[in-house]
Amino acid sequence: MSIQETRIVLKNIGKIDPYRIEDYINAGGYEGLKKALQMKPVDIIDELMDAGLRGRGGAGFSTGMKQKFTSESCQRCPQRYVVVNADEGEPGTFKDRVIMEQDPHLYLEGTIIAARAIQATKGYIYIRGEYHESIKATQKAIEDAYAAGFLGKDILGSGFDFDVEIKLGAGSYLCGEELTMLESLEGKRGNPRIKPPFPAEKGVFGMPTLVNNVETLANAPLIILHGKDWYRKYGTERSPGTKVFTISGQVNAPGHYEVPFGVSLQQLIDLAGGIRDGKRFKAALLGGAAGTFVDASMLDERMTYDNLREKGATLGSGAVIVMAEGDPVYDILHNCLRFFRHESCGKCVPCRVGTTQLVLQADKLKEGGGDKEALLKQMVRESEIMAGTSLCPLGQSPILPLESAARYFSKELCTTQH
Amino acid sequence: MSIKEIIKQFEPEQHNLLHILHALQDANPANYITGEALEETARHLGITKSSVYGVARYYTMFSLEPRGKYIIRVCASPVCELLRANEIIALLEEELKVKTGETTADGMFTLELSECLGQCQEAPSMMINDKVYNSLDRGRIREVLKSYRG
Amino acid sequence: MKQITITIDNQKINATEGANLLQVAKDHDIAIPHLCYHKKLSPTGACRLCIVKIEGQRGMVASCAVHVSDGMKVTAFDEELEEARKYLLDYLLSEHNEEYDGTYHDEFRELIYKYGLNNKENRRFPSIWKELGYPADETSPVLAYDAAKCIRCFRCIKGCDEVQGKNVLSFTNRGILSYIIGGFDKWGESECDGCGECIQLCPTGAIVEKPHRESINIENGIKKVRSTCPYCGVGCQLELWVQDGKVVRSNGVEGVSPNDGRLCVKGRFGYDYVSHPDRLTTPLIKKDGKFAEASWDEALDLVARKFGEIKEKYGRKSLAGYASAKTTNEDNYLFMKLVRLVFGNNNVDYCTRLCHASTVTAMLRSLGDGAGSNSIEDYETSDCMLVTGNNMIETHPVTATFVKYAAQRHDAKIIIIDPKWTPLVKDAHIWLQPRLGSDVALLNGMIRVIVKEDLIDREFIEKRVEDGMEAYEALKALVEKYTPEYTEEITGVPAELMQEAARIYAKAERPLIATGMGYSQQVTGTHNVFCLINMMLITGQIGREGAGLNPPRGQNNVQGVSDVGASPFTYPGYISVEDEENRRKVAKVWGVDPDELDGEKGLSTVEIMQAAYDGGIRGMYIMGENPMLTDPNLNHTEEAIKKLEFLVVQDIFHTETTPYADVILPATAFAESEGTYVNSDRRVLRVRKAVDPPGESRQDWEIVAEIARRMGKPLGNYRHESDIWDEIAKTAPIFAGISYDRLEQHGIQWPCPDKGHPGTATLFEERFNTPNGLGKLHPVDYAEQSERASEEYPLILNTGRILYQYHSSTMSRRNKALTDFANDAYVLVHPTDASKFGIADRQKVKIISRRGEIENISVNVSEEVLPGELFMPFHYSEAPVNRLTRDELDPYSKIAPFKLSAVRIEA
Repeated sequence: MSIQETRIVLKNIGKIDPYRIEDYINAGGYEGLKKALQMKPVDIIDELMDAGLRGRGGAGFSTGMKQKFTSESCQRCPQRYVVVNADEGEPGTFKDRVIMEQDPHLYLEGTIIAARAIQATKGYIYIRGEYHESIKATQKAIEDAYAAGFLGKDILGSGFDFDVEIKLGAGSYLCGEELTMLESLEGKRGNPRIKPPFPAEKGVFGMPTLVNNVETLANAPLIILHGKDWYRKYGTERSPGTKVFTISGQVNAPGHYEVPFGVSLQQLIDLAGGIRDGKRFKAALLGGAAGTFVDASMLDERMTYDNLREKGATLGSGAVIVMAEGDPVYDILHNCLRFFRHESCGKCVPCRVGTTQLVLQADKLKEGGGDKEALLKQMVRESEIMAGTSLCPLGQSPILPLESAARYFSKELCTTQH
Repeated sequence: MSIKEIIKQFEPEQHNLLHILHALQDANPANYITGEALEETARHLGITKSSVYGVARYYTMFSLEPRGKYIIRVCASPVCELLRANEIIALLEEELKVKTGETTADGMFTLELSECLGQCQEAPSMMINDKVYNSLDRGRIREVLKSYRG
Repeated sequence: MKQITITIDNQKINATEGANLLQVAKDHDIAIPHLCYHKKLSPTGACRLCIVKIEGQRGMVASCAVHVSDGMKVTAFDEELEEARKYLLDYLLSEHNEEYDGTYHDEFRELIYKYGLNNKENRRFPSIWKELGYPADETSPVLAYDAAKCIRCFRCIKGCDEVQGKNVLSFTNRGILSYIIGGFDKWGESECDGCGECIQLCPTGAIVEKPHRESINIENGIKKVRSTCPYCGVGCQLELWVQDGKVVRSNGVEGVSPNDGRLCVKGRFGYDYVSHPDRLTTPLIKKDGKFAEASWDEALDLVARKFGEIKEKYGRKSLAGYASAKTTNEDNYLFMKLVRLVFGNNNVDYCTRLCHASTVTAMLRSLGDGAGSNSIEDYETSDCMLVTGNNMIETHPVTATFVKYAAQRHDAKIIIIDPKWTPLVKDAHIWLQPRLGSDVALLNGMIRVIVKEDLIDREFIEKRVEDGMEAYEALKALVEKYTPEYTEEITGVPAELMQEAARIYAKAERPLIATGMGYSQQVTGTHNVFCLINMMLITGQIGREGAGLNPPRGQNNVQGVSDVGASPFTYPGYISVEDEENRRKVAKVWGVDPDELDGEKGLSTVEIMQAAYDGGIRGMYIMGENPMLTDPNLNHTEEAIKKLEFLVVQDIFHTETTPYADVILPATAFAESEGTYVNSDRRVLRVRKAVDPPGESRQDWEIVAEIARRMGKPLGNYRHESDIWDEIAKTAPIFAGISYDRLEQHGIQWPCPDKGHPGTATLFEERFNTPNGLGKLHPVDYAEQSERASEEYPLILNTGRILYQYHSSTMSRRNKALTDFANDAYVLVHPTDASKFGIADRQKVKIISRRGEIENISVNVSEEVLPGELFMPFHYSEAPVNRLTRDELDPYSKIAPFKLSAVRIEA
């Protein structure tokens, strides 16, 4: 059954001029904020929690819960922060870029609402350094929001103060990991911190900090404005709302597509115009490099956090990289492994050395000779050890593409003629 | 602006370090951060030299060696690889007569690889300094390079 | 702290709630493998070897990052954990150069053997370190780093940052290509000051000392001897490594106060002087203007005869002695005993007169004790530290680590009062930069702020200050004229800064004052400290842990030498020489007639020299001091020394003073001596013999005792230094409870009145040590300095110390490690003065005062000094700055004003 897009978060995309705040306001923008400023902070949090909003960065943790922890921790701390994770770097993912470039006020409004919810007076938007258009559009949005009284002192006469500024990344995937991002924000190398403490207790500059993804925050104004019941009309019970998927690779119309949670992979591919050149579907890499390969047997699975997890796959950032018959899984797996080696910060042993050794072993898979099934099995075992012992999500990631590729494409990976 | 003037625009707080390094690099026609600039940065922020150097060496967008006027960053993501970015890289190497990581003899271009540029809707992609170029093929690359060479 | 129970591998363990799980396991001898964790450092979680499983938690967690909670069930060892650990070690091995040269303790190598990975067949991963091209950095004068030996555990980085407060190290690159750097990947050009904390913390020998590396083999009979550092007065506990009769390494002793493993560059690398070929090895007698080697009998007989003759001819007041802040309590006690008993007078003093005499005088008069009131560790938990005239990062580097910790880790506020920039300014909240000699006005200004804003502690004043509020009113009346404007006019310090400083100090919960030479070495030295004490007393900021007044002592045993009575004014334990009852008591211990002991105060250091000049003193015995470099107004000192009929100098090297001696006696260095020192926080610390002395040199006390015996007055029958100590404990009530057996593991802080007493960490908790138990205010007015800038001498010269040199540098300059860092004299000149007087950076100049001149001094144009002021270190004999200083003394303490001389500069 083919489906249509359900545009909630992306409703303004292509319809307004992102550089004109009037356009955004005319489209109903900042109404959520106005409403939020009338609410008690705790009610904002409850609303988001009851709406079932889950973090769109990949982990799918309850946004309301995260805000609750942050607002309740360390009451004697003089400062609380909101940090917007706009360091979109997961391969195959560009949903945040679309929002930032084409509707920056939406997530900025969500940021101000989140700040109000946890009573933060200062926010940082951490944008990856390569995203020049996103930086430009966001900068303009911030300036206009200040001018319109949505930022700064005594916002809209509510007595609430909130300042926000952009912080730039400079080329590090790992800085998209929330604790590492805090280090980078402070002007340091992107080495992850050990947790606990979580950012909610001890975040940037040692203060309680809420770290939320762009897409997550873009949902907040709509939930506040229309209410949790409206929101729960979309998606599933445990994954309410919509998700922006970015579909790329061998499809006819690659791009961003917003659909309710629960559609199937086949439906998504159809939405993106089907496989190129009339070829047959071979595989998809779901969630980017830190994601999982699936084969055709998964085409009808519902795309929710929980269902995919149960089936040994991930939804992650919403990236869907589609491969058609004839495309080499080995090359894409190798690409992912090289990526991890390149992005490993070097702090912990299993990730630092393990990512390097995996690439060397992947080379051997190709070179021929030896018992390749055993080698592949050994690689999966190593990735398990890495997942079990690494300090941060990066070292815990190689197992995702590696184990799933081995599960579905072991035979292909172990034949010599790549 | 002089190095000192660039740095002085920022409050002397370590959290401004990445911004300062970006500003210093962007202001340098050879697209890199000089030793003198690192030294001044450390002094301005009141932090040790290694704190500055370690950061400059961690983030891939920064360079401590001279580069070309234009940095070409070809996306090396799985998506672009799937859509034959390797051919794009080979083509650029051929056109520019450099290997990846090198700078052209005339100092115009440095060819680099980048992690996913987030342009997967029109892969394969590359950036030249701030500008993104998508749906690359032989013709498009020649056209783009020509526009820079003037 | 709540006590809880956890289980590790079914073993029940009691622990404190929230404690670090890995440390709890270690404390109970459960050897969970680990490499990056160290007790002193925040957990890093890099090596991952300390993984465990905790019931109710998913997967494996690093135990170094777990806080224990009640009922926690931990699995530390099972097949899966051990397999994972083996993988981790295997990973590390593949990027590691495993060559081992036996010069260090290799924690990683031990684990490799433990897990059988020394057998290459058990390894899973190919070795890749060679292809990775890891560099080595040999650019530091004192250490070398090899990235191929490094396991990237962060211990060095964290030690440098969290323990030493320097943060000199970082990583470069990332992933498997990352490695440790100092500076811009050149250690030698970084801010590294060579303390070597990183070396001591490195688990794999990736960072190693350069000196003596080739001569160390730990599998070949290394002797390790615990002792106390011979440099400044922090009293760092050292572990000396001895191989083939030579000290080859010095480590800090972990887990022991005052330094908890920390050292500075001098403590770690400054021991080479001990085995230096310049050491004096035989007695020398001057014959026809030249020194000739002599036997001990010859030399000692000559000394005894000459001293005897002088005493006979000119009377018992004609002899004097300089004791030594470098030698042990036992050495100094006997020296003092010799002067009092054999010379028959009280003319014994030492360099304290040139150092903290004014501080001690003010403290004795106001508080009843002259020593630091708190423990060094208190700095770590202080919330405000007032640092006056004290360049502690250079002069007391290990104390400074605690100070920096408080500022960097829990926002304690450092307030610096110093006319010259010091490195601690970087960590300071406020830096007040008064003109040289204006401190009394500044402090009176601060006191006035406290008075006006009612920040006083009335209850404290009423209960603990003599004459209570009445005394306070007198102080209040005196400071009334020191309005912020007036104070600013005199001192040049902006009024708002001065006011803020006063408020922060008065309001702090745990404020410590650390006062140094900048305050003491002035004509108004005692007044300066009176003002500090006034401010402290009216705010009640003394008499509890974390609050008080502390003069860090400049030399290893300045504190002890006074404590054991080498003073013209006091007997052991600070009892006045005029106290007859005490004299009787001591005479009894000494087994002599009390009348033999002079009841009149003796001459102090500079007074002794003046008396020598005037002919009152004819013979002198100098033990381990070098007045020809360190006394003020050296030209005058030289004339005085030349007038002496007989001079004995006892030392370990030829010094600027030995040429004037008639007899030179070779003594032992710290590593050849047994005994005790007392450090700045009154801690009696053991000094132990690690190596044999060179040639015929003998420990100081043995020489002293021999001279006394040959002068017909044996001092006693001492078989061992502990016998001398026991006698000290009998004469000085503050030491009564201390004996060597109690000092085996750690020092004890005096007063320690009896065997069962644990020692006293904080002074004055209940009462001051004055006769009536009350503190005393001494309101003092600012007076202009008698020495002022003039047309002829337009600049004011300040003098002081630097990190890499020590005192007259006889010791420090005989260590290549230290001279590689700094070995040249200089004068700091403010840029405006440089242009005013037409002087360029690095130019050689002549500096002239009313008393003398020195030349060929290299100029360092710097904003570290105020316009109109200069600074020079006093360590260098080729630039004897004390030819310029004055011997006009502080009337109370007799200290000389090294910090203020009017001079001019000539190109």
